[in-house]
Amino acid sequence: MSSPSAPVTLAMHLALLSCISFGGFPPVLPDIHNFVTANGWVTDQEFANFFALAQAVPGPNMILLMSFIGWKVGGVPGAIVSAVATFGPPCAMYFAAYQLSDRFRDAAWQIIVRRGLVPLTIGLVIAGGTVMARAGDAKWQGVALTIAAAGLMIRTRINPLWVLAGGGAFGGLGLL
Amino acid sequence: MSQVPALTEGNSDERVTLAALFTEFLKVSLCSFGGGLVWARRAVVEQRHWMSEREFADTLSLCQFLPGPNVIGIAVCVGAKLRGAIGALAALSGFVLIPCAVGFVLGALYLQSAKLPVVHNILDGVSAVAAGLLIATGVRLLMPHLGRPVAVLFASLDFAGVVFTKAPLLVVLLGLAPLSIAVAAVETGRAR
Repeated sequence: MSSPSAPVTLAMHLALLSCISFGGFPPVLPDIHNFVTANGWVTDQEFANFFALAQAVPGPNMILLMSFIGWKVGGVPGAIVSAVATFGPPCAMYFAAYQLSDRFRDAAWQIIVRRGLVPLTIGLVIAGGTVMARAGDAKWQGVALTIAAAGLMIRTRINPLWVLAGGGAFGGLGLL
Repeated sequence: MSQVPALTEGNSDERVTLAALFTEFLKVSLCSFGGGLVWARRAVVEQRHWMSEREFADTLSLCQFLPGPNVIGIAVCVGAKLRGAIGALAALSGFVLIPCAVGFVLGALYLQSAKLPVVHNILDGVSAVAAGLLIATGVRLLMPHLGRPVAVLFASLDFAGVVFTKAPLLVVLLGLAPLSIAVAAVETGRAR
């Protein structure tokens, strides 16, 4: 149903958003949702399904979500264009920034900036896990499972896949 | 400082191959249910020793202050560090190409089974564990900084800002970053 230019419009919008998606894609998700539903490309329900889907399969979740949307809008080419628009611009920036920071690695100002920023980065990681833990309807069993998994990962070098599989089994048996 | 052997300095006869970069980030990507950071840190720091714990945190912090998906930034930076532009491309391809294709197929299968309650329950369990793994990754990254109370303080403030207030992420970061950098500058000044 979409006009031939719809995938291009979508890709341009995604490329723009990817350039301002500080903190990753979750903060710009509401905008993407509004954009694609307002254009009539994807319904609310479809968007929710795509989101759940992207979370449930391994791999780069947000790129997958964008490619599901692109797929709906313009088939497989639409999916590919959307995916590239999502990760292309940030990757170019990562590369340029890394080269720059590497060149000045031992500069005094950079050491200071790193010392200042790293604690914030670490706080964000832990906060990300906490927000995720509270996202589901958190019953005490779920919280206990989260804490147990964290403890196991901190104290041992067990392969996280076993812990994830254990969590899946726990849930599958209806214990959550 | 620069003469410390080791982890961080690449030695030309043990040059990391592009194939190794590709496959390692392919693995990271395929394993990363819920979030790739857990797996990226494990692969890069614990298993391959491509970066030290501190270097990894530095890189992550660089990526976090740029837009885009941070874990992909890690792949790009690790590739760039070890093998330059071509390395960045190898790591990125490993991270994105095959996993996205696999994701599509799995996604289609999932759509057909999403109505089964048992699938929903399993996903609940997996996501509770995934949250715990992410918290653990943060705690592990924090460990080298425990000797610096100010670092722990700012990590805590940042954590609280994100978890307990509804403030947008950018506001929390822009509020705390200048303070945190200023404190680091004062500390560095005193150390001289």
